[in-house]
Amino acid sequence: MELQAKPVQPQTPAALQPKDYKSDLKPIWCPGCGDFGVLQALYRALSAIGRQPHEIAFISGIGCSSRIPGYTTAYGFNSVHGRALPIAQGVKLASPELLVVVAGGDGDGFSIGGGHVAHAIRRNIDLTYLVMDNQVYGLTKGQLSPTAPKGLHTVTSPFGSLEEPINPLLYVLAYGAGFVAQATPADMPGMAALVEEALRYPGFAFVNIQSPCVTFGEEEQQLRAHKAKMKPLASLGHDSSNQLAALDLARAYGKELYTGVFYRNPAPPPTYDALVRLRQAELAKTRQPRERVLDAYLQK
Amino acid sequence: MDVTPTQGIDFTRLTLRDGLDLAISIEEEARDRYQDFAEQLTLHHTVDAANFFARMARVEEIHRSRLAERRQALFPGEISSAIRAKVFDVEAPEFDQVRVFMSVEQALKTALAAEEKAYDFFARAIPQLQNAEVRALFTELRDEEVEHQALVKQEMARTSGEPSANAEAYGDDPVAQ
Ligand SMILES: Cc1ncc(C[n+]2csc(CCOP(=O)(O)OP(=O)(O)O)c2C)c(N)n1
Ligand code: SF4
Repeated sequence: MELQAKPVQPQTPAALQPKDYKSDLKPIWCPGCGDFGVLQALYRALSAIGRQPHEIAFISGIGCSSRIPGYTTAYGFNSVHGRALPIAQGVKLASPELLVVVAGGDGDGFSIGGGHVAHAIRRNIDLTYLVMDNQVYGLTKGQLSPTAPKGLHTVTSPFGSLEEPINPLLYVLAYGAGFVAQATPADMPGMAALVEEALRYPGFAFVNIQSPCVTFGEEEQQLRAHKAKMKPLASLGHDSSNQLAALDLARAYGKELYTGVFYRNPAPPPTYDALVRLRQAELAKTRQPRERVLDAYLQK
Repeated sequence: MDVTPTQGIDFTRLTLRDGLDLAISIEEEARDRYQDFAEQLTLHHTVDAANFFARMARVEEIHRSRLAERRQALFPGEISSAIRAKVFDVEAPEFDQVRVFMSVEQALKTALAAEEKAYDFFARAIPQLQNAEVRALFTELRDEEVEHQALVKQEMARTSGEPSANAEAYGDDPVAQ
């Protein structure tokens, strides 16, 4: 048995079109929300990969961005705030053949759900985690989020926040994520290509998407500012196989807007789901019937 | 930063069938984007701008179907060579060009900017084209964009001064999430 999760094989390019992944449910996001851009990039990335909708599962928590599963024709679970990753890990272990995509906000992923990120990474379960980082709690109307810049005035920090923001890029790199990238809908082709690359990565892949909240977000977090500010890592000559260089660049989160792949493990290790399958196959040789297992306990 | 709107399309190698397929995809993307805008704004009580975008969606559909008929007559039954996933915002306005309670005037400006963008796309592609038939097609499409711009400008002149949606009328109370 192979230890490595299989990279998704592209099929005939014209076989599935982006619209084939679009559900009939109409997004209720505020017009102009960055999440619309993410959704478009996602439909295109999925069609480039060519997996059928029934071979894909979208798992999310709660938030504006967590509505994404409903807007796709794939399987979807809009679950509980902060619990997207544990549920997604269960889905992947139970149905390893599915392409499992986790989507949600910076609040969902790095406040209430922050504790789960480290464990999903250290297990290296073959998931793609897309965080729509808008530096605010959008759904609940503009409270301070974990990635909000220090000093930000919001309804929950009327005099300006006193905390430093979490750095999601540094966080996931430090725990050893095999694929770490950042995108913005200010560069739609670039974002679609990055999402596609993340989906193809065999292991835990993380994309931090700077997705503007047009209703509660700050001016400097909007698309126009992104366009002026963004710096593609490729244009800086960054070597994405260099983890230390990636860590160094990630430190600039909040100051610089680097886009592209920070780190891609050139030799992806076996995924947890593949190891579990291997263990199951090994144990199957000596597996006891269930009654025997129970008997063993009773005799004790 | 100059973001190429059509990733990976080599204009030097386009055949007439490719050119028509690409043009159809461009119109289709514009139609779908206007349709999305119309739906979003209808949902958010911005009815006048929504109606304008719905009209734009119908116009783009007419353009698309004309091109599709031409293609069908020339290359009946042949599979499309255009990969819709590769066409990005050529004639379609960018997704963030709408806002709740935007005025019709703002909606018209959005449409005009999109028509200008499409003109630039064809104008930039033409010098790279090797195939004379595709060059003729793209020149025709580029010139049509000028006509579309004129139509939008006429509409701008007709509607100038009309009142826009009133945000105050639609304040909503917080709800538990
Ligand atoms: C257990 C629990 N705590 C709090 C909430 C309230 N709540 C819903 S969404 C949300 C945060 C939304 O922010 P984020 O995850 O960043 O997503 P966004 O809406 O910005 O996309 C909060 C605090 C909840 N639904 N459940
Ligand atoms: S509140 Fe912000 S994040 Fe939520 S839909 Fe509106 S713009 Fe998007």
